[in-house]
Amino acid sequence: MTTEAPFAAERTAFAPVIKATGLTKSYGRHLAVDHIDLEIAAGRIVGLIGPNGAGKTTLMKAILGLANCAGKLEVLGLDPRSQRSQLMEDVCFIADVAVLPRWIRVNQLIELTGKIHPRFSKQRCLDYLAKTRINQDSKVKTLSKGMVAQLHLSLVMSIDAKLLVLDEPTLGLDILYRKEFYTNLLNDYFDDERSIIITTHQVEEVEHILTDLIFINDGKVALNCSMEEVQQRYIELMVKPDQAAAARALGPMRESQSFGRHIFLFEGSDRSQLAEMGEMRTPSVADLFVAIMSPKETTSTGGRA
Amino acid sequence: MNRLLALMQREFWENKGAFRTTPIVIGGIHIVLLLMSIFTTAHFDNELYTFREAVRMLAAQPDLFRSEHVYEIMLGTSLFFTIVLSVVVFFYLLGSLYDDRKDRSILFWKSLPTSDRLTILSKLLTAMLTAPLCFLIVFILTQVVATIIAAIMIMSVGENPWILFISSMNPIKVWAVVGFSYLATSIWFLPMSAWLILVSAFSPRVPLLFALLPPLVLSILQTWIDFLRTFTLNSSVFGMIGKWIANSPTILTAQVQDGVGMLALGLPGTERFDRTVTAGNILDRLFSADMLYGLIVAAVFLAGALWFRRRATDS
Repeated sequence: MTTEAPFAAERTAFAPVIKATGLTKSYGRHLAVDHIDLEIAAGRIVGLIGPNGAGKTTLMKAILGLANCAGKLEVLGLDPRSQRSQLMEDVCFIADVAVLPRWIRVNQLIELTGKIHPRFSKQRCLDYLAKTRINQDSKVKTLSKGMVAQLHLSLVMSIDAKLLVLDEPTLGLDILYRKEFYTNLLNDYFDDERSIIITTHQVEEVEHILTDLIFINDGKVALNCSMEEVQQRYIELMVKPDQAAAARALGPMRESQSFGRHIFLFEGSDRSQLAEMGEMRTPSVADLFVAIMSPKETTSTGGRA
Repeated sequence: MNRLLALMQREFWENKGAFRTTPIVIGGIHIVLLLMSIFTTAHFDNELYTFREAVRMLAAQPDLFRSEHVYEIMLGTSLFFTIVLSVVVFFYLLGSLYDDRKDRSILFWKSLPTSDRLTILSKLLTAMLTAPLCFLIVFILTQVVATIIAAIMIMSVGENPWILFISSMNPIKVWAVVGFSYLATSIWFLPMSAWLILVSAFSPRVPLLFALLPPLVLSILQTWIDFLRTFTLNSSVFGMIGKWIANSPTILTAQVQDGVGMLALGLPGTERFDRTVTAGNILDRLFSADMLYGLIVAAVFLAGALWFRRRATDS
């Protein structure tokens, strides 16, 4: 599709890692991805958040050349549909948990990846594995689900890729390993030239490492901004009941109640005005997600206190 | 090239049971049967009298007679290996592009920087080279062990096995002919192999059904149309496949006619000269118009398999 591909070598550090225009994918009459325009720059960690069936996985598969989409899509200057094998030298992905072949032994998997992937460091992989309880002679099918995820993450982290795509990478892992994984990802793996895209339902665990946030709903991009923008644009205000009516009058995106206090979420409001009414803070990604995906709905939490 | 070798190594690892264990079991069965026949003989044969007499009679035969028979017996033992090999290769190809879609590991394989073309090539070469080579190696080892056992037996009745049969053996020739026939057979059956790869690339489930149903339905239709009006097609698809197997450069027939052992290429045992097992006859099959058409058909099937593989994901 793309004619720019031969000039990929000329791309600069400022060229977007992913550039999608009018990306569309339909399954029958259902539009899984609905004319998405997207640009992701190098050196970002992007959280791709959306409810089940929103089109996240389809979008990721399109980026990895695993789904045939209409529209224009360029990843690292290549067309993922026709140049997948070339693209995979610079892109790593975990498309889902537990997709490692079940018959293979751990050491065979490492040997094979080393022979096929030019940017794989066997030593790095062995170092990561040493921190786990995975036996190198074991077959994948004898490992627990969590161990398979650990193994896959060790493999992927040992590949010097420009783009890392993780679809629910930590499903089935315990809290200790999840924490350690995200710390490693940020400290050892991530740098200015690499980009990471993560989807997960455990938003709280990744929000502190994200640089950008993309919400997807019904195949469309519902929000696409950097975390700094999130801090500037969205304000969570906690007020006492006597101020609730005044705050409500300013047109919040969402209102909820917790421990007898009213919590409002505002977009682009005047900070000085809000500050007079109560306590301000940046909303969590989870709260922002709920506000954007199902606005105008009032919920109440914290009744147990 | 290194990636291709790595992919072929992966195929061997995945199918170790079929490619390595299976021929070893067959070789084991050969040896066990040989030992059983020896023990049976020893049990009923008083002091191996009959066996001794048989060996003496054999020793009295001319050298040429002995060497011809040894040659045929050695080639003949490849039959069991060949038949099982074909079954192994059939099911290997049928699952080649299907199994990883079923267990979703295709998502891992597609995350590696290898093209779909290279993947298909690695599967095809594994079926054409790796599997036959594994069977050939075990076949050779089986013959070595069987020869040692036979030599010990013959020595035990006081005859010299070297003079009796080892000197008239030509093992290298036997192994070369079998290996050559395996290679030629791999090429000859390319259209079928390509068909199986195509089926494994697109089958949503039960690839066996998708592999057999189309030729079956076509054959029934052809026979039916033939029946309705004298349709000009000479043969149905099944008829064509049967003919193809009958003409294959595979050592598939062993029979005894008037006390003379016979080995022939392909299936039906006829006395036609072009069926006897010679390198020339094997080569004849490969340099035929049939083979050319077969290669074209194989190329079309493989292109189809590549088309499907490029679009294949886990769902």
